[in-house]
Amino acid sequence: MVANSGQVVGTAAPVPARALPPLAPATTAVLFATMAAEGGGPAAALPWEDGTVLGRLLEQFADLGVARVHVVTRAAWAPALEPLLGASARLHVSEDAAGDLGALARLARASAGPLIVAYGEIVTQREVLAGLLADPRIGTGVLTTTRALARPFAWRTRARAGKVVAAASSYHAVRVPNATFLGVLKVGAPDRVRLIEVVERLTELVRGPLPPAWEEELAAKGERWRRWLAVTAIVRAGGEAPPPEARDDLPLSPVDEAELERRLAHARDDVTALVLVGLVRAGTSVGLSRLRGLFWARPLSDAAVREAREQIEDHDEARALLDATVKSSDGFFTTFFVSPYSKYIARWAARRGLTPNQVTLASIAVGVVAAAGFATGERAGLVAGAVLLQVAFTLDCVDGQLARYTRTFSRFGAWLDSIFDRTKEYLIFAGLAIGASRAGDPVWGLATAALALQTTRHAVDFSYPAIRRQRLTGIAQPPIEEPLDGPRRAREANDDPELPGEAAPPEERLPLSRRVLAAWRRGDHSRRIVWVKKIVAFPIGERFAALSLTAALFSPRTTFLVLLAWGGFAALYILSGRLLRSLAR
Amino acid sequence: MTAATATASPAIAAAEHANMLETYRDDGPLAAALGHAAGRRVPLPAIALLLIGAFPALAAIVARGADAPRGLVLAAVIWAVLAGGASSGRPLTDPLRWTVPPALRVIEYAGLLWIAHLAGPPALPAVFALLCVVTYHHYDVVYGQRHRGVRPQRWLQAVAGGWDGRLLLACGLMLAGALPAGLFVAAAALAVLFVGQTVAEWRGVARALPSGYDPAAYGDDEDEPEDAA
Repeated sequence: MVANSGQVVGTAAPVPARALPPLAPATTAVLFATMAAEGGGPAAALPWEDGTVLGRLLEQFADLGVARVHVVTRAAWAPALEPLLGASARLHVSEDAAGDLGALARLARASAGPLIVAYGEIVTQREVLAGLLADPRIGTGVLTTTRALARPFAWRTRARAGKVVAAASSYHAVRVPNATFLGVLKVGAPDRVRLIEVVERLTELVRGPLPPAWEEELAAKGERWRRWLAVTAIVRAGGEAPPPEARDDLPLSPVDEAELERRLAHARDDVTALVLVGLVRAGTSVGLSRLRGLFWARPLSDAAVREAREQIEDHDEARALLDATVKSSDGFFTTFFVSPYSKYIARWAARRGLTPNQVTLASIAVGVVAAAGFATGERAGLVAGAVLLQVAFTLDCVDGQLARYTRTFSRFGAWLDSIFDRTKEYLIFAGLAIGASRAGDPVWGLATAALALQTTRHAVDFSYPAIRRQRLTGIAQPPIEEPLDGPRRAREANDDPELPGEAAPPEERLPLSRRVLAAWRRGDHSRRIVWVKKIVAFPIGERFAALSLTAALFSPRTTFLVLLAWGGFAALYILSGRLLRSLAR
Repeated sequence: MTAATATASPAIAAAEHANMLETYRDDGPLAAALGHAAGRRVPLPAIALLLIGAFPALAAIVARGADAPRGLVLAAVIWAVLAGGASSGRPLTDPLRWTVPPALRVIEYAGLLWIAHLAGPPALPAVFALLCVVTYHHYDVVYGQRHRGVRPQRWLQAVAGGWDGRLLLACGLMLAGALPAGLFVAAAALAVLFVGQTVAEWRGVARALPSGYDPAAYGDDEDEPEDAA
């Protein structure tokens, strides 16, 4: 998409004009300011503009309406942090990780609403935090990104179907990670009892001698960090990366040696990641809130803070909020011909104070008028119906976008939106069939067949993911003492950035169905092929576009024949893909 | 919608996903009884029974098209109900179990359309009306569990006849020569029943969101074709 020249966009305030209640009421936050900055002292106290990194974070929490903030730190750092806390924040001093966990358990027992557990030295934007704290759809969840980040102490995770299924910590590794945990965890009120149990178990484990497997995992991580620092230094100096077998005894510069020391020392204090692993291993459903192209950093030196201050300016919060209202899973027509402008209608509706349900009702009303236009059976009526159908479809996209933009979700609204989408489509069928009868060419049989086909296609879409969820909820988690989230396979337990020149794993011989699927998925590297696949599947945007075009230009009979042909082909295409997947397991 | 009041459990607990497919079947009392009686004796996956059940009707349509004699239609529908009913007694554990609800939709919708087609053009608008009402119910079985957290009521499924009862009713109406009118009456009666029950259920449900309620997590947000495998 190329913006029109001279168009100024994305400068408006992210918040609708009307006054809003606090986004995260009754929430308690526990921040761990236990990480040392490069020159000594707490990283949370690094200067940021007129204040500090921690002070900025506290302001953001206050702005979101977080009721109470607790900061846990070491005794030596208390004097540096005490003056940074406002009226609503409290300082707690603890000796070590066991003390940190003890404080967390105490605070969790004393609080009532959702609980935030986070690093105290995070620099990010308000909208990033709001995405996790204020989204009612996320009960317990974490802030994550799939983007490549320079990530000192941001652990990898693996997510499936919108849930964290594995997480890493100093003592835990993730096979095949696909996301990064950005140090902010929200625990919903219903999960607080489980959180307390998990934290108590972890306290026992970190207090005594650590489980031997944990020590081994940390030692292995230390070796990997050492290799990574050494190879990176060589590559940065313009040298060539040594082969993997010659990486064990490379010398480190004094700066890198200090960096490694600092990493290893802090690794034992990182309780935030440990708590996340504990919750995941205990079978808690942990959702995801994504960074959405916004800024996040965990600066540990003055230089890193300066870099963060330069970069944060490039990330437009208002734009990110608006863009995030658009579903990423939408079809081609919706993504390129409706969402680019419908999100501005959603923003306008938010400023006017309209609710998503009002927009849903407006959409069905326009849909009824469109069906009436089709029912006239005359060319003018068909053209008017076609245009109105597109208006109704736009409003259909607006209601969901408005809900996401204003974070007002309701169960009834979601039901109304789903059921009225279907109602609208079948009302249009009825209108077309009535119009065709009036014009002397009855098509009730074709209309019934199109209705049956579309409902059956939806039945496939409901039933197939249902068994996928059965499988996901059945995943057994290993106990917390186990460092790996499953049986170890070659070269998978690598949660560091990829080293240059590492060998690819050997290919396995797979059954035919899996090879067909693998070949099929290879096309997904090309965005063009992904869009073609989506168009072939005949999603709602394409259906409504085909309805409007064929009805306006040709006749209802043509419309139903196109719907049946395209929809029938899509059904066969989707069915064969899903049958293959089912049999490949 | 405050977070403080969101202490209810998520709309659908994880364990309940196991029987979600069962509720999508929409069996009537007859199919359920057949499954109870014969389900254990037929050692076949449910989808195999449904294919066997649909085969005579398919063969008749291919061989005779619109001109099939009424006796043949009646026999084919009864066979489909017998085999499909028996399939309701089979456990849904095989890898293709997700094909069972869509297959039942095909059997019911195609069967009703076939019957109406044989009865002549005036019956077609009537069957369109009936399918509108029946598909509303089938959507609400899914969306109701998802958003209201309410499973379909047994009495409602029984009174509505299930896919089996509606197919046999349409056959009976065709044989009695009461087709267009009978289907319109059935559509109207079912519409009152289904919509009335939906309204009643919404009245009993708190509108506020339970914590962690996320319809998008169902992975089928408006016919999204391919999921990340």
